Amino acid sequence: MSEAYEIDIPVVDDDDAMLIDEETRPAVKRKGRGFGNELKESRDGVRSGDKYDQFESAADDDAPVGRAQRSVEGWIVLVVGLHEETTEDEITDKFADYGEIKNLHLNLDRRTGFVKGYALVEYETFKEAKNAIDAVNGTKLLGSTLHCDFAFIRAPIGSGGGGTSSERDSRDRTSKNRTGGRRRGRSSSPSRRH
Amino acid sequence: MGGDDEFYVRYYTGHMGRYGHEFLEFEFRADGRCRYANNSNYRNDSLIRKEMYVSPLMMKELKRIIQESEIMKEDDQRWPKKNVVGRQELEIRLGNEHISFETAKIGSLVDVQESDDPEGLRVFYYLVQDLKCLVFSLIGLHFKIKPI
Repeated sequence: MSEAYEIDIPVVDDDDAMLIDEETRPAVKRKGRGFGNELKESRDGVRSGDKYDQFESAADDDAPVGRAQRSVEGWIVLVVGLHEETTEDEITDKFADYGEIKNLHLNLDRRTGFVKGYALVEYETFKEAKNAIDAVNGTKLLGSTLHCDFAFIRAPIGSGGGGTSSERDSRDRTSKNRTGGRRRGRSSSPSRRH
Repeated sequence: MGGDDEFYVRYYTGHMGRYGHEFLEFEFRADGRCRYANNSNYRNDSLIRKEMYVSPLMMKELKRIIQESEIMKEDDQRWPKKNVVGRQELEIRLGNEHISFETAKIGSLVDVQESDDPEGLRVFYYLVQDLKCLVFSLIGLHFKIKPI
């Protein structure tokens, strides 16, 4: 491979995330040695058609939670826009007003050792998490504007959580018939709020 | 939807050895679907496959981390080639740029310093650590499993 860039039209199989408009498909610049080596073990992992485990909420969690998805021990709030010198104490001070914080991950930049810019805060109940999101979103900490939302959302109905494509298709059909509403697809508006 | 919206991230590290194909792999699709697979046959034969959907804000933060790393400007041409110890792959689609970098496993910063492209490999080395850190947090909080 002598050129750094190869101008290429992407080959997209139907199981792929990259849905590109046929008409306006732009040239994609490809770079790297990883292209074109289809090793047989490369289908062992995330591109395998096998079933993937999802965390499934119990039925009584289907309260009015919008698109948010519960996790195994509670509801995870994502906060971004953190100043690099933010401390765990400062996060705790800000978020403890809305409920007991069950878990806090304040990850660091591996190169600098400073805060990477995001934190994950766990509450036991949806209400606590929702109140925290509504209250903290748009506020400032150390001069930096914070943005807050749930970290996890529900799988789109019909996505099926892995399985073979034929399984997925049949599940998709039945779920459409049953619910008669919620659109399958990957492109709900990014700005949509819970 | 134009090419500017395209976004995909996949990281793989693994090797074929005495215990078969042992690897860790995760990916994020633009719609928020995050998959994680971890196979280690040593002592206990277990393949872990997890799937979760993360919110648009999480995807935005992931994109920020990748953009700020400037990984898309790098090139794997002079990075150590995959070997018997194993290989790593980092595939990122960001707008109309698509990288799929492949290199050997990196034990420590010493490997980075001694390579032919220490500046570029360092970007890769730290980005991979930041991405793994994020994914382990997400998996840990959502499923409470202990990743390797």
